[in-house]
Amino acid sequence: MTAFNWVLRGSAWVFGHDVAVDGDLMPLEFALRRETDPEVLRHHLFAQLDSGLAARFRPGDIIVAGRRFAQGNPHIQGLLGLRGAGLGLVAESVPGGSFRNAVSAGLRMLPRAEGAIGEAATGDALEIDFRTGLFRNLTRGTERRWPPLPPGLQTIIEVGGWEASFRQRLAMMKAAEPAGPNAPRL
Amino acid sequence: MPTAAEKILSRACGRAVAAGDIVHPVPDLVTLHDWYVTHAAAALDRFGVTEVQRPERVLVSTDHEPVATSPAAVLRQAQARQAAARFRFGMFHDVGREGLGHVFPVERGILGPGMLAMGYDIHLTNFGAVGALGLYVLNEVTELLACGSVWTEVPETVRVTVRGSLAPGVTVRDAAQRFIAEADPQVLDDAVVEFAGPAMATLGIDSRMTLMNTPVELGARSALAEPDAVTEAYLRGRYRPGVEAARSDADAGFRARLDLDLSAVEPQVAVPPRPECAVPVGEVAGQRIDHAYIGSCASGFLDDLRLAAGLLRGRRVAPHVRLFVTPVTQAVQAAAAREGLLEVFAGAGAIVTAPGCGICAGGRIGGVGRGEVSIGTGTRNDPGRLGHPDAALYLAGPLTVAASAIAGEICDPRQALGWPA
Repeated sequence: MTAFNWVLRGSAWVFGHDVAVDGDLMPLEFALRRETDPEVLRHHLFAQLDSGLAARFRPGDIIVAGRRFAQGNPHIQGLLGLRGAGLGLVAESVPGGSFRNAVSAGLRMLPRAEGAIGEAATGDALEIDFRTGLFRNLTRGTERRWPPLPPGLQTIIEVGGWEASFRQRLAMMKAAEPAGPNAPRL
Repeated sequence: MPTAAEKILSRACGRAVAAGDIVHPVPDLVTLHDWYVTHAAAALDRFGVTEVQRPERVLVSTDHEPVATSPAAVLRQAQARQAAARFRFGMFHDVGREGLGHVFPVERGILGPGMLAMGYDIHLTNFGAVGALGLYVLNEVTELLACGSVWTEVPETVRVTVRGSLAPGVTVRDAAQRFIAEADPQVLDDAVVEFAGPAMATLGIDSRMTLMNTPVELGARSALAEPDAVTEAYLRGRYRPGVEAARSDADAGFRARLDLDLSAVEPQVAVPPRPECAVPVGEVAGQRIDHAYIGSCASGFLDDLRLAAGLLRGRRVAPHVRLFVTPVTQAVQAAAAREGLLEVFAGAGAIVTAPGCGICAGGRIGGVGRGEVSIGTGTRNDPGRLGHPDAALYLAGPLTVAASAIAGEICDPRQALGWPA
């Protein structure tokens, strides 16, 4: 098993403030039909803003966004799409519901990157260590450091998101208390 | 010193925790509704889980679609019943048993000050009306069921001092809409919004549920009303304290302190596409409507029905408008019947639907069509929320909705009531 890759190197895609989770990030229809396959969803990212955009993303590219990225009714589909495309996220803020969904999707992110949209232009080459919070703009030769996810959430990202982390927890519970009265039976 | 939310989560974690900590609290109550319980059960099956932790604390309510009117809905209800039996959920409130699950746990004294509820849906924040902290965890409620806990970040608290009094013709829903229209989303983001102050003495539990319901629309995590004499009087005889009530210390580390002056509020209408897009009613008065709705976990309480009936008594809904009224719970419906409110609605040409979420749950009953205009007291007005995505959805308090239904266009309820606007 190879070590989890906390460092992404790729191009910046810069967005403004208040990118909506429904409509901007992902068409609402995918939430309504409860589509949760990242491989399906990745092809529809930002489709209503620019229908050709998803095809131009490369794994390792970074979404750089302003305040309240993925605001709105907390649907997970857009976050799963970002993960499916192998993208990272650097945002000035992410509202609570979407933050939870982004962790659940296993998305590498710096969700409290104040002033982030001033630190890159679309097309800049970036290198970001999501474990430490070190942001490097290789095109500009600049560096910033923002708060990384707390260790307790990094472990969820590292195993691949909520489903994998939940599966691990069930296995640990089974190992610890095989005969407990309420133990999940696996 | 700790906030009320920190105290509640510290108890549920069995150790002192503070804002920013990632924790796994054990809640006193877990809530799910009819539209998610089948997904949760399917997920439990997929992960091979056959028993849930503390099933006696799990509450499931059939409130989003209590009257099944399609084969798919009949099947979903059957699956929910099977799931409730199979996983031995302790509190399964099926069709006709209580009503809206964000409300009756308060009515029935299942929750009280200092308790922690966690669940799927964002609107369990209503429980804050009696000083219980409601935290939504979305689809990870499956882990909560299987393992007895799931991660949450201990939220910071924004303290709101409520002052003044509502002018005639203005409702607490107007104040709640004004609050989220004016608040900085960055300040409220992921915080518990805690309401206290002199004017809280004038707000009963119905009003408090309305106030607790709206901040989450702007991105707050939850809301709490500081327990006081109103709480105590309401809970007397219906709730037996199991845990210690929690109040924030005077020197607690609040993220921010805000004021809400009820006297400065006038009737509000949230225009499409989001609940925080609220403007004074005068700015949209005259907008013709086709559809009107009074109900939802934000505003389908007995107080709301009384206000609406007060305006509708002896009047008729405009010929081109259909008005739906949904009491939140069976108890509210029964009280409305006792007080003669249901007779008023029937006489005015309105339809009273089964207790629960009503139209607000996706417009599955009494929804809107393409190009129609609706004004209602639902929680959200995203395009498509009440049916067709090309309908225009406005949100308002029960007086504005009732006055508009009579007029056939959005109108200031103070005119209908004979008060100066």
